[in-house]
Amino acid sequence: MEKIVLPEIENFHQLDVYIQNAGYEAAKSAFTQTTNQIIDTVKKSGLRGRGGAAFSAGLKWSFMPKNNDKPKYLCVNGDESEPGSFKDRQILERNPHQLIEGTIIACYAIGAKSAYIYVRGEYHKWIKLLQKALDDAYEKGFVGEKMKETFGTDFSCNIYVHKGAGAYICGEESSLMNSIEGQRGYPRVKPPFPAQNGLWGNPTTINNVETITNIPPIIKKGWEWFSAIGEPKHPGTILFGVSGHVNNPGVFELPSGTLLTDIIYKYAGGVIGGKKIKCVIPGGSSMPPLRGDKLEGVKMDAESLKAVGSAIGTGGIMVMDEDTDLVRVLARIAKFYYHESCGQCTPCREGTGWMLKILNRLVRGEGTSKDLDLLITIAKNIEGNTICALGDAAAWPVKFMIARFREEFEAVVKDEVSLEPKNKVHSMRHTANPIAPVQV
Amino acid sequence: MEFKFSEENLQKIELVLKKYPTKQAAVMPVLYIAQEQNGWISKEVMVETASILEMNEEDVFGVVTFYTMYHKKEMGKYHIQVCTNVSCMLRGGYQIYDAVKEKLGLDNGDVSNDKKFSLEEVECMGSCGTAPMIAVNEDYFENLDKEKALQILDSLN
Amino acid sequence: MPKIIIDGKEIEFKPGQTVIQAARENGIEIPHFCWHPSLSVSGNCRLCLVEIEKMPKLVISCSTTATEGMVVQTQSEKVIAARNAVMEFILINHPLDCPICDEAGECKLQDYTYQHSVGESRFTEEKNHKEKRIELGPNVMFDGERCISCSRCIRFCDEIVGEKELTFIKRGDRVTITTFPGKKLENPYSMNVTDICPVGALTNRDFRFKSRVWEMAPTKTICSGCARGCNIDLWTRNNEVLRITPRQNEDVNSFWMCDNGRLNTFKHVNANDRVSGPHLRKEGQLIKCGWDEAYAKTLSELKSFAKDEIAALASSSLTVEDTYLVSKFVRSTLNMKNFDFVRKVVAGSGDAILIREDKATNAKGFELMGVEPGKSASGGGLKFDEIISHIESGRIKALILIEEDLIGWNPAFEKILSKLDFLVTISTNFDASTSFANVVFPASTYAEKNGTWINFQGRIQRIRPAVTTIEMERSLDGMSQSRWDKFGTDFDSWGKAKKNDARPTWKIISGLASAFGTKYKFTMAEEIFNEIAHTNPLFTGLDYDVVGENGVQLKTETVKKKVTI
Repeated sequence: MEKIVLPEIENFHQLDVYIQNAGYEAAKSAFTQTTNQIIDTVKKSGLRGRGGAAFSAGLKWSFMPKNNDKPKYLCVNGDESEPGSFKDRQILERNPHQLIEGTIIACYAIGAKSAYIYVRGEYHKWIKLLQKALDDAYEKGFVGEKMKETFGTDFSCNIYVHKGAGAYICGEESSLMNSIEGQRGYPRVKPPFPAQNGLWGNPTTINNVETITNIPPIIKKGWEWFSAIGEPKHPGTILFGVSGHVNNPGVFELPSGTLLTDIIYKYAGGVIGGKKIKCVIPGGSSMPPLRGDKLEGVKMDAESLKAVGSAIGTGGIMVMDEDTDLVRVLARIAKFYYHESCGQCTPCREGTGWMLKILNRLVRGEGTSKDLDLLITIAKNIEGNTICALGDAAAWPVKFMIARFREEFEAVVKDEVSLEPKNKVHSMRHTANPIAPVQV
Repeated sequence: MEFKFSEENLQKIELVLKKYPTKQAAVMPVLYIAQEQNGWISKEVMVETASILEMNEEDVFGVVTFYTMYHKKEMGKYHIQVCTNVSCMLRGGYQIYDAVKEKLGLDNGDVSNDKKFSLEEVECMGSCGTAPMIAVNEDYFENLDKEKALQILDSLN
Repeated sequence: MPKIIIDGKEIEFKPGQTVIQAARENGIEIPHFCWHPSLSVSGNCRLCLVEIEKMPKLVISCSTTATEGMVVQTQSEKVIAARNAVMEFILINHPLDCPICDEAGECKLQDYTYQHSVGESRFTEEKNHKEKRIELGPNVMFDGERCISCSRCIRFCDEIVGEKELTFIKRGDRVTITTFPGKKLENPYSMNVTDICPVGALTNRDFRFKSRVWEMAPTKTICSGCARGCNIDLWTRNNEVLRITPRQNEDVNSFWMCDNGRLNTFKHVNANDRVSGPHLRKEGQLIKCGWDEAYAKTLSELKSFAKDEIAALASSSLTVEDTYLVSKFVRSTLNMKNFDFVRKVVAGSGDAILIREDKATNAKGFELMGVEPGKSASGGGLKFDEIISHIESGRIKALILIEEDLIGWNPAFEKILSKLDFLVTISTNFDASTSFANVVFPASTYAEKNGTWINFQGRIQRIRPAVTTIEMERSLDGMSQSRWDKFGTDFDSWGKAKKNDARPTWKIISGLASAFGTKYKFTMAEEIFNEIAHTNPLFTGLDYDVVGENGVQLKTETVKKKVTI
């Protein structure tokens, strides 16, 4: 089976090996084409973002303004902080040059002279590996001023590695940009979107590391080739990271649309001890979980997962066996989003903490049946009302885990017998007209 | 305590500044350089960083406290980070965390009296496929169990 | 103009306006915490979520630009549900300590909780705890638990003052606001953050725990701190001024005022050293006397000097009305030429925001009325410096000093005043200058009278009485009243407020003129103003109603255009 992102070639991460395998030739061919041609190729290839939202990469590039004197930027998102996701790390380790080459092509296509590859701070080792590859590429004239000569083009760009410092939210595109600018990683209110107002207020495109790494093969082999791989609506291979209760966890590059059960049983070696599966989260911890008894026939691509009420996310598959305490799992997930909420906007700042407090109470056996519905309404009140998608990411696991595994939660709660008085804030007083004009 | 960047680090900062169109953008890498030199980000470090980057001290303070990897106090020589997020938890992350806590006699965020160890329960480190894991300073130790984790602690001097 | 439809009502908007701005201009209030008309949009509170046709999700109206034909719902089921949700989130960790919170009664959170919240909390967990009673600076106290992280205070310091000073630290629900360690919130405008804070997180240290806001009566008037003339509300309870807050006027001060104006322009009104009733010096002591006795004494003393042995000096913070009558009295009745105004310019004390170097409130008024300080009044008279040197040389023996503490302003004047044979002052408070006075008339402060000032831009603005003197009655004189004022009886302790026997300067001058045989017909400051409006073309068409609450720009070519701050 074809490996696009993680070819099984020994020492492929080394520049000489990469060159021996036609490395940087896609870039060379890209420079013989117009930027429109490249964007068109990427559009037609059907490549969709691998960072979670699965948005068309070519379409995203086409949003970049053409006649604009402002400097343009490319951000490559390697913040990879969603629990259950550990795929970009493999690219940084095993195929950094293809990432660099993809970055060069993307820069050329959108007219960016600078690209920042944002890698999460904890990846010290992988940042060093990427930096080494980048230094080599600079030295050999594949990046920077010298690339003009190397590729015989008048285009050149610089690539910089920016190291994060421990903040999940910086995987959100506008937080990532604020972070590069040296600010607190607060998401920005959108619109304006990055293509209009990104890094330092300039047009910016942001793509995931895996998305960018797919670019050189697409340029090299053509969109027809790529679009024929896997599911037509979400073509190509996907790096599936399997973790949890499986015998052989790890990252598997497989065509989109591969059966979830095949990934778990064929590639990841099946469940430890031959146990049954209780729950699978298919795309990183924020994605709606699937019941173990409903995995049959589930295909791993954006559209198929949508059809079964989940989403592809980052392709991080978390497998939980029949003995797993889902109340504890959900409490742990809630703790993560509570810890990582930036605190900028109200629903997420307050709601994540509230959900965690209730779930911790459930874990301690102090929950009541009313808490379950309360949790769902809190999640719904966060969802869609926040500045960025972290609100949804925090809400979905709670909402869907309780809805789909209600019996697990019912089992740990007591009936409502509390005699404590309600915490009354005030009496209700809706008036047609405000009592007095409210000050600004 | 007074803080000044070493000559060598000032040169590193010069290089870092070339990566960005604004000085402020260099604040994260410069804070890393400072942390490497000083061990943690003290008030004096923030003052010096702000001065070098022509930033408001308040903005530097806001950045330092936003990101978890900047130490707001002096940490141990070995900063032990144990992941307890779901993928690690499913494979015994909490057993490791509890064992480490017990062995070091430390709670989350504590530093041992001899400043040798500090402990942090961390969020997902991207080792889900090699879970459970701990990190000691910048190095990952993966595919662990309780015994292996304790052995690692024993091997640290 | 393009139109949008909000709640079925078609309204016009200016291109570029956001939905919340367009709504607000048309009297539709969309609830909000973090949005402020004079600050950048931060979009963090999420209370102003509205439903817009063809948009899949609710959007925040503060950052959504209005476009032609947009159909906005601010009261739909979805919007109300979202608003309730946001209110619930804000309230779960809020301490709900309204009974001991200074903000109660003027708190956006409190108001919105009544208007937009379901009224019952579903939150049964322990609330988050944060630091309380943090002295952010000399004038502002911070309560971390009450804070809703709207960032208005941070944006105010950044955008209006241009000094960072405040920042968010930490993240999630641990986020709080702070200064840099060892630094303080001490910019000259720091206290504005207490006004724009939508909750009781930032409070005025000078006013803290002094009064519930509903026990006070606000009076729309003008700050007496400098030539800017910031529009303010003067808040009184039991006839005592307790605080000043800025009042919006986009032509003068927007929503802001400086801390100095807020803190240091009212305490003399309440002070124990107020002059109450006229005083005569007898055997070295100033002894209280009757008004007629004081007038008679002044008349007989002044008549004993030759005209060129007498001079008059007046504060340049007199009202237009006071100025008019003083100058009429001095020029016509006394037929004196040695008359000038004291200019109070402190070089280097101004800034590009609000604070002016000129500390007097009406210097522009004197200029425009033809009695510009420093220039002789009607030709041939002495200027300020000359008057001083003539006193020093003994050529001037008697001085009428009006609402000005010369020695307090400059201690060097002590030896000047000590040389006089006769000093009569019109003073609000006993001060260094009155200690040399032979007669002291008790003047009403700016907080006790009607009148107008002309600010440095040439804008005429009204001051109004907030504190009563013995000759005034709060209800009869149309002054603002709190519940205490309205319902207090003789049996209530708060009904027995101290009232001073003081009169506005024009009235004292009027009495003095009468002793000299000249009768002025004025019974109210407004009548003087009307006469000015009939005689001075600059004031044509103006009366107190026209000047109104926000003032009127006089048409003079010397006047600067609208200020931007």
